[in-house]
Amino acid sequence: MSKYPFNKTNLYIALQYLTTRKKQTILAIIGVLLGVATFIVMINFMTGVNNFLDDAVFKGNPDIVIKPISHQKTNKLPFSIGPTTIENLEEISNELEANENVRAFANQTISPAILTSNYQQLPGSVNGIFPLEEMHMVDLNKRLIAGTGFSELSQNNIIIGISLAKRLGVSVKDTVTIILPNGKSTSLFVSGIFSFGITTIDNVRTYMSAKTLQNLLGLSKNITHINVKLKDRNNLDLKSLLLQQSKEIEIEDWKENNKTIVIGNKVRDILTWSVSLALLLVAGFGIYNIQNSAVFEKRKDIAVLKTIGYSSSDIIFIFLVQALIIGVLGAFLALGLGYLISFIISITPLDTSDFIIVKTYPVNFNKAHFILGFSFGVLTTVLSGYFPSRKASKVDPVTIIRGV
Amino acid sequence: MILEAKHINKNFSTPKIHRVLDDISLTINQGELISLYGESGSGKSTLLYILSTLDSAFEGSLKIHGQETTELSPKNLADFRNEHIGFIYQFHYLLPEFSVLQNIALPAQKLGVKNKKEINADAAQLLEELDIASLAAYPTYKLSGGQQQRVAIGRALINNPTFIIADEPTGNLDEKNSDLIFNILKDITERRKNTVLMATHNRKFYENSHRAIEMINGKLRL
Repeated sequence: MSKYPFNKTNLYIALQYLTTRKKQTILAIIGVLLGVATFIVMINFMTGVNNFLDDAVFKGNPDIVIKPISHQKTNKLPFSIGPTTIENLEEISNELEANENVRAFANQTISPAILTSNYQQLPGSVNGIFPLEEMHMVDLNKRLIAGTGFSELSQNNIIIGISLAKRLGVSVKDTVTIILPNGKSTSLFVSGIFSFGITTIDNVRTYMSAKTLQNLLGLSKNITHINVKLKDRNNLDLKSLLLQQSKEIEIEDWKENNKTIVIGNKVRDILTWSVSLALLLVAGFGIYNIQNSAVFEKRKDIAVLKTIGYSSSDIIFIFLVQALIIGVLGAFLALGLGYLISFIISITPLDTSDFIIVKTYPVNFNKAHFILGFSFGVLTTVLSGYFPSRKASKVDPVTIIRGV
Repeated sequence: MILEAKHINKNFSTPKIHRVLDDISLTINQGELISLYGESGSGKSTLLYILSTLDSAFEGSLKIHGQETTELSPKNLADFRNEHIGFIYQFHYLLPEFSVLQNIALPAQKLGVKNKKEINADAAQLLEELDIASLAAYPTYKLSGGQQQRVAIGRALINNPTFIIADEPTGNLDEKNSDLIFNILKDITERRKNTVLMATHNRKFYENSHRAIEMINGKLRL
């Protein structure tokens, strides 16, 4: 006697039902297939977009920026022409060294400047960086689209944002002249062009050696900005800690500066998950309906199976295994279809003009999305198959057989 | 003695309390063809479903093959039915998704004592005895009413049960097919020593049975 409902005979009956009701079976499989495939595609695409934005905005930029408090707020008059510098640099550096959440930090001297080419004169800003420190914090070379890398910054070269370079009409190896607020000017050759994919940066920013800039400004070793990269970006305790220590600084953090992007990511996440879950729910309802009507149509057969010795758990198994097979088949096929559609999206050209980092739509092919889609698909089908199966197991053979 | 029922009572509570079975006691021996007859509503079917263990809502004792069935759990009852009781209904109730041979094999596959080859051989043997061997691979809906009822008999016999319950097995057939089915049922009790308990309205049949019991208002007239 087969003691457990999971046995060959029950499986055979379930398969017989599935194969003789081909149309309904195929429809149900297609339902799961579309639900799960769309789920996978949406998650791949949406997280792709989020990652892309993260990459463009957060990874290439410091998490917090420390700079001296602006003059307007202190009511002090500027004592010299040019940018104000951070007074208690050493103190802050020590604090940053000691803080556990700091992954890396780099000093910068930033100054406004006028950039002049043979054709144009435009306002911009010069970021004087210490290349090794800076590269340790963010991989600026990833942003480089022409010319040589940031580590080669020396006395006489400069790296320019793509939009600014276009407007100035310069490319690699051309010369630009920068004029600083104190009136000093110098000619530098363009050794590289970078793009952050963010117009407000690519339009004005340039990079040069901090030492060269400090010499020109006459600021010796003074620093105007400290860029900090955190281990846990969401933990901004450091900000209030530093502000407590020094009244001379103000701090910008990534959340404040990118409110729209942070909210955008959140909204996309919510949309993705709610739409995806709704799709799976619809697929689940499809299975539920098909199984429910199958149970109704088959109630005489169920009654007969019960009279000849099939128990309630046998009946549950027979119907549940049908849902399981539909779910597994549909979800399995969905892996292929989901991959295919994601792939097509990932090679679709995306016209971004200056958004050079991407040439096609960003898609995040994460194995976990496929595993998640598959498991959700199977889980939904089994859950939605369970209730009709339980209903089937409760068919009373006496009522059905006498009822005719 | 293969079945012993003692003091079986059953009430229907809707629309008002009504005694359907009134203190019924009955014993059945192996190889008997017993007919139960009586007016509609006299309780024949109700009694059949109780004796076949499908209906367990009653008072009294029911011993089949030495086993007190009222003590069995629903799961054990299902296994018990599979091994000891065969069913034939007024309508054939064959499963349309399965072939003739597969329909007959189903109870044996559930029993799981023999392997598939042996079961198929048994089923083929029964088809031979029932004179429908040529229909083995047919889907059941292509068969005539008489043929379908013979397949149903085959299904009831496959596990060689302790007894077979037949509820109006000829109720839906013409005279010629009815005679055929009755003769098969009588034949299996005499030749194979199977036991059949049959409800019927057909006078010819109950008079030709080994034992005929009339049922009146929920009581047996022995």
